[in-house]
Amino acid sequence: MSQGLLSVTSAFSRVWLRNAQVYLTLWKFNVFPALAEPILFIFVFGIGIGSYIDQMEGVPYLEFVAPGILGIAAIMQATFECTYGSYFRMRMQNTFEGIISTPVSAAEVGMAEITWGATRGLVTSTLVLVILAFFGVFHNPSVLLLPVITFLAAFNFAAIAIIVTSRIAQMEYFHFYFAGFVLPAQFLCGTFFPISRFPEPVQVIAWIIPLTSFVDIMRSLTLARITPSLIPETVWALGSTIILAELAVRSMQHRLVE
Amino acid sequence: MIVEAKSLHKRFHDVVAVESLDLAVERGSCYGLVGPNGAGKTTTMRMIYCLNRPTSGTLSVFGLDVLKEPRRIKARLGVVPQDNNLDPDLSTCRNLEVYARYFGINRADAGSRCHDLLDFMQLRDRADSPMPALSGGMKRRLVIARALVNNPELLILDEPTTGLDPQVRHLIWDRLLDLKEQGVTLMLTTHYMEEAQKLCDRVLVMDHARAVAEGSPTELIREHVSPYVLELRADRSLNAHITSRFGHMEFQSSGQNLYFYGGSPDEFDDLLAAYPQTERLLRPSSLEDVFLKLTGRELRL
Ligand SMILES: Nc1ncnc2c1ncn2[C@@H]1O[C@H](COP(=O)(O)OP(=O)(O)OP(=O)(O)O)[C@@H](O)[C@H]1O
Ligand SMILES: [Mg+2]
Repeated sequence: MSQGLLSVTSAFSRVWLRNAQVYLTLWKFNVFPALAEPILFIFVFGIGIGSYIDQMEGVPYLEFVAPGILGIAAIMQATFECTYGSYFRMRMQNTFEGIISTPVSAAEVGMAEITWGATRGLVTSTLVLVILAFFGVFHNPSVLLLPVITFLAAFNFAAIAIIVTSRIAQMEYFHFYFAGFVLPAQFLCGTFFPISRFPEPVQVIAWIIPLTSFVDIMRSLTLARITPSLIPETVWALGSTIILAELAVRSMQHRLVE
Repeated sequence: MIVEAKSLHKRFHDVVAVESLDLAVERGSCYGLVGPNGAGKTTTMRMIYCLNRPTSGTLSVFGLDVLKEPRRIKARLGVVPQDNNLDPDLSTCRNLEVYARYFGINRADAGSRCHDLLDFMQLRDRADSPMPALSGGMKRRLVIARALVNNPELLILDEPTTGLDPQVRHLIWDRLLDLKEQGVTLMLTTHYMEEAQKLCDRVLVMDHARAVAEGSPTELIREHVSPYVLELRADRSLNAHITSRFGHMEFQSSGQNLYFYGGSPDEFDDLLAAYPQTERLLRPSSLEDVFLKLTGRELRL
């Protein structure tokens, strides 16, 4: 039996469809609560704190934080979906066991969950994008590429979440994951201010977390600033996404087929 | 052979779940696995439907290796797991349709197939019910219906009737016999020896991860127990008295019950005459007696 991403066929889309079908029947419960945090961020940081900050990196503060708010919206939605959501389907409902008793493989279930988490991240961040557009923070046509980046960022964090979900013995371990990684990542990754403010070692850690690259790429798009650092950032954003997806899919196989 | 295992082993860390197991299931037959809790029945079944990987030995299903071709194997079989794993987020009918999609069955075919299966398992009135609204028996019937969406050649049932009322159990038995008539091969585990006797052409008795006997129900009864059993129920002191007087006969004791075995009903005449007041039951022996003889009467902890 082949392993990992290379063994994944289009059958994974059948599981994605299952999740989409369930989501659509409950969409009201899913869409609006997810927007609460990003909207709060827009008001608290963009408008509240922003009114005390003249400019950051040469632009109004809300324009500076917009990519950060988008990135956080994408990764948080994907993270919730692929931690609590996936764990619930895996452990409480045994849904995955039923699925892998069919020709769909455990690797495909892993891939479907990641893609689904990324889809939810895309939906939420795109709504946030529309809200931000009403505040007049976007001036360049390159912002139309933002959904591609938010989808990838969400995919990346969905993969990390699946690695965690497929390895933990009980749900309480998510507390450590959120407190130790997800929460710091939200603030460390150049979301609300440039990471050059941090001491050197912290900057290294921040650059390792792929969100930093994603946010910086998005900021280049919103501000239409092309810099050479975009090349390594893009390589790391894509490379880490593939590596994490590979690990996540294998980890799911390991968990589901003993 | 539809399923063939040779010196199959399965270990979970330090627990040996299945050891040196050989088995062969013929096409169109019904093959039963019985054994005390923890004997290794579910693990054996899960290896057949490719959810557990054998530690060593060979296991082929439809002539395909379970380690190499799980996708092709799973496409051709239906699974009723020991614990229901219906999708609680979907209604009865959607459960079947979504499951059909996992097999790559197109929407139109899935729709008509679901219809037929709900009729077959008598769930028509519940087509739109949400999962939590179904009773245990309805859920079980739905799991069986779901296992049939892909028209499987082999249907694997892990304790299909545990915890169900007699009506549902009889309905399920009838349906399984219908399927067998249509040529579907059945493999089932059960704790009800009556069920194994009624449905199975061959039965494998497992205990402590190993096979302890195999054969048709009648063969097993003939080989392992005498044709008649007399059950006596008495208090401890009377029991001691009976066994001291009739200890030359073949017997087993369990709590307040004594089981005497004999070749014909008249072998028990003296015993019955000696204790006319005792609660008694004289009956032909059954698979249950084989089971208890081979695996003992003590509880598994
Ligand atoms: N995933 C697992 N991890 C560790 N041990 C396991 C696992 N699955 C089964 N076992 C062990 O393997 C042995 C056989 O279990 P199995 O579930 O196959 O028994 P069973 O015959 O189906 O029992 P029951 O009649 O209670 O369903 C048991 O000792 C069980 O604890
Ligand atoms: Mg079992």
